[in-house]
Amino acid sequence: MSEPRLISSYLAVLAAQLPAPIVEELADGLTETHRSYLQQGLAPDLAAESAVAEFGEPQAIVAEFARVNPARRAARRLLGIGPVVGACWAAALITDRAGTWPVPLAARILVGVALITIIALLAAAALSTRYRLAARAGVAGCIGIASLDAALITGVTFASAPMTWVMAGAMVASTARIAFAARSLVPALAR
Amino acid sequence: MRAEELKGHLDAVLLAALEDGPRHGYAVIESLRQNTGGRLDLPTGTIYPALRRLEQAGLITGSWSVVGGRRRREYRLTAAGTRALTGKRADWLDFSAMVSAALEGRPCPSPV
Repeated sequence: MSEPRLISSYLAVLAAQLPAPIVEELADGLTETHRSYLQQGLAPDLAAESAVAEFGEPQAIVAEFARVNPARRAARRLLGIGPVVGACWAAALITDRAGTWPVPLAARILVGVALITIIALLAAAALSTRYRLAARAGVAGCIGIASLDAALITGVTFASAPMTWVMAGAMVASTARIAFAARSLVPALAR
Repeated sequence: MRAEELKGHLDAVLLAALEDGPRHGYAVIESLRQNTGGRLDLPTGTIYPALRRLEQAGLITGSWSVVGGRRRREYRLTAAGTRALTGKRADWLDFSAMVSAALEGRPCPSPV
């Protein structure tokens, strides 16, 4: 039996916003729901209407999937630990008088712009109800924050800055964040 | 019962629906409907994200099969899911006994 047009259109709306495996699972459930209404004696079109109504608004389903997206959860956690790692670096840079280091102004501006961009990406991932936006922004944010941490550690190492306990603590915090971001990417990229 | 009223208990209800063996999403919904005499009024589509969330938490595990030419995802409880269900069930019994006692103006039984 061919799929009623209403069900095809409903699935097309979901397919435009969700990954194929999720849509396949929803299609199976919707088909079973439709079949159940047919078995209750409803006409095919009415059965399709009832099945779609029972499933709920497509946007509500997309928003629920966006909420459980691993990239979104990773973004929320990175935003949560961000101030702690940031405070470690602030303490280290103030203690080591980083303002006197021979770092070009362009490099300082680049780090600042990169940090703001990464925070914006993580915030978009954490708050968006659009699945693909949340997933892409979350993955980009994870890669961005890990790259920034790696660049900071490398930069401080090559700048031959005095290695104080505070600086070592900041580098350990960044290393832990790199590990967390890398681990978060595995489930985020698998979906 | 509306979805909002079930908030906070949906995980336990879904885990319980998988206690008797693996089920796909629609079968979970059918099981909930049968067990509650059709009183659970949940938007069916929102069950699927909840199942994904439980899977990410390691409480259930999903696997694909092909039925009637369609891909179908079935879920089963993990050992952690079984333990979580036992805990949630005990919590609910304590909670419902406490609220019932408060509403009916009688002493609350001791926790199990």
